[in-house]
Amino acid sequence: MNAHLLLDSLSPVSGSILTNGVVVAVVILLHIQIATFITGSTTLAAVSEAISMARGDDRHERLGHMLLKSWVYLFGFGSATAIFFVVFVLSGLWAIFWTALQQITFWVLVFEAAMFLVEIALVYSMYANWERLRAHRRARLGLLVLLTITLWWQMFLIDVVASFMLTPNGGDVNLLNQVLNPTQLPLTIHRTIGNLAWSGAVLAFVGAFNYLRLTRRSGAPQPDAPAAMRPLRSVGAMAVGHLEAERRRTEILHWEWVTQWGVLWAVALTLLQPWVGYSYAKEIQLHAYSAWYTMMFGDLSNVFLLQIFLLGSVFVLGSLYFWRRMNRSGAPRARRQLFLAIVLILLTLLAVQPAWFAPTYADTVAAGLNRPWWQGGLLNPIGNFIPFKASALIGMVLFGLWSVTSYATALSRGHIKPGGSGRGAQRAALLLGVVISMMMLVMGVIREHSRQPYLINGEITLHQQITNTAPSVPSLQQSQP
Amino acid sequence: MKELSRRDLMIRGTGLGMGLVGVMLSVPAIGFLLSPLFTKQRTAWVTVGVIDDIPVNTPTPLVAQVPVGTGYPTPPVPRVVYVVKKPSGETLALSNICTHMQCDVHWDPALGNFLCPCHGGLYDIDGKNVGGPPPQPLAQWNKRFHSDAQGRTVLEIENVLDESI
Amino acid sequence: MSSWLTRPITTRLRAGMEWFDDRTGATELLHKGLYEAVPKKGGWAYALGSATLALILLQLFTGIFLLLDYVPSVNEAYNSLDYLRSSDAFGAWVRGLHLWGSYTLIFVIGLHMLRTFLSASYKRPRELNWVSGAVLFFLVLGLAITGAMLPWDQAAYWTSVVVTNIPHYIPFIGDGIRKLLRGGDFVGPITLTRTFAIHVWVLPFLMFSLIGAHLYLLRRHGEFGAWVNYDTDPGEDEEKQIGERIRHAEPPYPAKRIGRRYAAPRETVPFFPNQLFKDVALSTVLVAVIFVMGLISGAPLDGPSNPATLSYVPTPEWFFLPLDQFLVVAPTNPLIAIAIFGVIGLGAALMVLLPFIDRSPERRPLRRPEVIIPALFMAFTVIFFAVLGINRLYNL
Ligand code: HEM
Ligand code: FES
Repeated sequence: MNAHLLLDSLSPVSGSILTNGVVVAVVILLHIQIATFITGSTTLAAVSEAISMARGDDRHERLGHMLLKSWVYLFGFGSATAIFFVVFVLSGLWAIFWTALQQITFWVLVFEAAMFLVEIALVYSMYANWERLRAHRRARLGLLVLLTITLWWQMFLIDVVASFMLTPNGGDVNLLNQVLNPTQLPLTIHRTIGNLAWSGAVLAFVGAFNYLRLTRRSGAPQPDAPAAMRPLRSVGAMAVGHLEAERRRTEILHWEWVTQWGVLWAVALTLLQPWVGYSYAKEIQLHAYSAWYTMMFGDLSNVFLLQIFLLGSVFVLGSLYFWRRMNRSGAPRARRQLFLAIVLILLTLLAVQPAWFAPTYADTVAAGLNRPWWQGGLLNPIGNFIPFKASALIGMVLFGLWSVTSYATALSRGHIKPGGSGRGAQRAALLLGVVISMMMLVMGVIREHSRQPYLINGEITLHQQITNTAPSVPSLQQSQP
Repeated sequence: MKELSRRDLMIRGTGLGMGLVGVMLSVPAIGFLLSPLFTKQRTAWVTVGVIDDIPVNTPTPLVAQVPVGTGYPTPPVPRVVYVVKKPSGETLALSNICTHMQCDVHWDPALGNFLCPCHGGLYDIDGKNVGGPPPQPLAQWNKRFHSDAQGRTVLEIENVLDESI
Repeated sequence: MSSWLTRPITTRLRAGMEWFDDRTGATELLHKGLYEAVPKKGGWAYALGSATLALILLQLFTGIFLLLDYVPSVNEAYNSLDYLRSSDAFGAWVRGLHLWGSYTLIFVIGLHMLRTFLSASYKRPRELNWVSGAVLFFLVLGLAITGAMLPWDQAAYWTSVVVTNIPHYIPFIGDGIRKLLRGGDFVGPITLTRTFAIHVWVLPFLMFSLIGAHLYLLRRHGEFGAWVNYDTDPGEDEEKQIGERIRHAEPPYPAKRIGRRYAAPRETVPFFPNQLFKDVALSTVLVAVIFVMGLISGAPLDGPSNPATLSYVPTPEWFFLPLDQFLVVAPTNPLIAIAIFGVIGLGAALMVLLPFIDRSPERRPLRRPEVIIPALFMAFTVIFFAVLGINRLYNL
């Protein structure tokens, strides 16, 4: 069955492209921020629960419970946006496109939607029985793992649809080729890592927010001898007069720890993104050249620069957080983190240089100014992807890795004192949460816009016109600067 | 000067003997190992074929039986010559050896480029590298043309590329 | 004379053995070999080393049989293997054993490396166990890649082209190295004879010498095992427990050359039969897998080599997929050279020199984030590259 035969039988529905597009963007970006957090944080919760079981660490248990509660609120909201999106926005405003896509990826979408049922059952039964299941922690962990699996599976399925829209392989609707379309695996891997990093960033944000809230009046506590600062486990130990102060201190310690746990996940996983992202872009170049061209040389190239700037900021903020914490704890080699932060800043600056001083590369060509700026043109060869941006990215990854490793080593050697965080570190973590949230938005914008003028690349346009007659990849006569 | 004892003499003699054996064996061995660096490739011209019917701007692969030119005598091997006729009248005899890792590139009409399947390298119709890993343009075979008895143009190539890749 | 003949057979046998033992010292040697102390906990993980050894011997064994037919010449190599496959009874099976043996070997040597890495077995005084092992790992990869070039079918030909081309990105001497490997500018007859010599003589010779060194070192320092064997009971005086342990340690423990805590394991078992049983069990399973896969899946043989193809897509062996994807990610000069020789070379050097980098006394993985995190990062990179490589080739 060929996609366009089926589509021909439908008549176009009118509507303003702009408003329809804005509605899609708002609903989907909202949905994505929620859904990705739930997907990623379930994994973090399962890991936490496992650690808490193995080590008897209450902080992890508390974190797991907090996440579960937040899912209950978010899950309903997130699935409601999905329903609204599908029922009203897609079926209503983009009917032709949606009917076509739904027909083509029917089985994928059926299984995807079915996952909601499993998830609802799991989330609410865990929520209702969390305390009761404390006596059966293995069962509770089992449920968490099951939820994790369903969520990732659901993400995988929706990635099949999303990637098919970008690289439909010339409208190949065979189920296997749909599932294994060129950008499906890169997208899935990219998102898997991204969701985990994003969840870490949310934790970092929440932890930092609470820390800053609790210490707003009194300022950050001084790092005491570690033993004294450990959260108190027995109520009896809290003398009546100190009860309130002790509880506050326990709270501060907890949120400080949550921040650290989140920052480590967020930064460590983001280290993998440049590798995967590059391979992903390579598939787009080979299978959806015009989309790739839009991203790298066209309208979206500047949005991409913003993305690189945000990426660099993640590593810089990470190392600043590590630096503040190591410094205030008096850990050896704390200065190294500062040095790494400076190197990372320089690398970010190298990477975010525009390759041309005009909106797009085509504009420099049109202006007849495609010469280096030192010859009076608008091109900036130092901003070229190869070798400068690519080298800067590799450098960011390596120095970022050094930064994370260095902090983790200090942590495992007991050099990071609980209660030793100042407010500065927490501010960096707060910002990290914001930055990663923005990265998610920017990525969404890039993905949705790179296909223009298509909804399904090469198959159906934004005006819901079916165009499966031309090859999905236009001629490639342009050469790269 | 200290007197050389019988024992010292033997020790030194042993070392000297072993060293000599080492030198005697390694000179020819290393020379033999490095011989490809000194041996010249045997060059030869071969006929590729008549190219009159090839349309302009349409890269067309022809196969020539090209002598290997190194090692003990072996039969010639088939190699691809991409004939590209330019509107300017120039004719290119591109090799299809990718300049990245030397996989076999082919003309992809849908892409409008030469595509290398190995790592997705792209070249334009002139063989200029325009995307992916390749570091330099496609090389051309050393070529010459002559007219045959019927007055048609025949392409000949040498088993040598016009630049090192 | 007659009295010797009339003695019972067992007595005569024993006398014969005594005679042999008197002249060779065989029993003592065997005893030394079999009754070594090995840490008690984690024996299955320690079986990976001997499984590696078993698989290498299997490769030697099946490889010799392949030489009964194989001719290392560009005109004959393909035909000889085609004959072996189609006309020689059992020939295809032996070739299948050799191929699946190599796959399994690479997999198992990777696991062995992983386990000695996780248990930090490479720390003082066992640094050279690791260094020799790491070099062995690269030799095995070298064998795998040269082996893939020998059949001179399409896959082998294009593998030869790509692999021998890689060194030419080394600045200054790269072109020369490519010429030496190929015997000229292009892949040709000398490429195959040289590859053959490397696969059959050079690498195995180096490999077996190093295995000897590796095993000698193992015996010299004793099997370290893993941290689980070095716990002390809480509550009691730790120093006293360790002192006690060292005092009663069997050879080759305790070594004077090491911090006391990890000098001697808490409990040991004799190599024979406790450890040897596990070793043999694991090897048997692996050989059985190879035995079956060698028969049902065998080893593929493409069409004969053809340098003039337009449609052939060379696919690297699975263990080279990450490297191949890495080539995709590192485009155009000068990144190619930096990537291949800078990043990969640096990674390989760091791997070989690991014991001299990670010198803290810690042995538990979670206490060594300075090596575990970079290693995890590398491992994820390798896995992602492999997956992305498969995806790319599938969608070509
Ligand atoms: C030809 C390949 C190899 C063979 C035949 C081999 C064989 C063995 C054997 C039989 C053992 C003792 C049993 C065990 O601990 O598993 C051993 C131990 C060891 N191997 Fe290997 N090995 C090889 C490759 C490697 C590699 C690639 C590495 C790491 C880079 C390595 C590092 C070590 C270390 C550090 C030990 C000491 C383990 C301890 O004492 O706990 N070996 N090897
Ligand atoms: S060999 Fe052609 S792109 Fe790598």
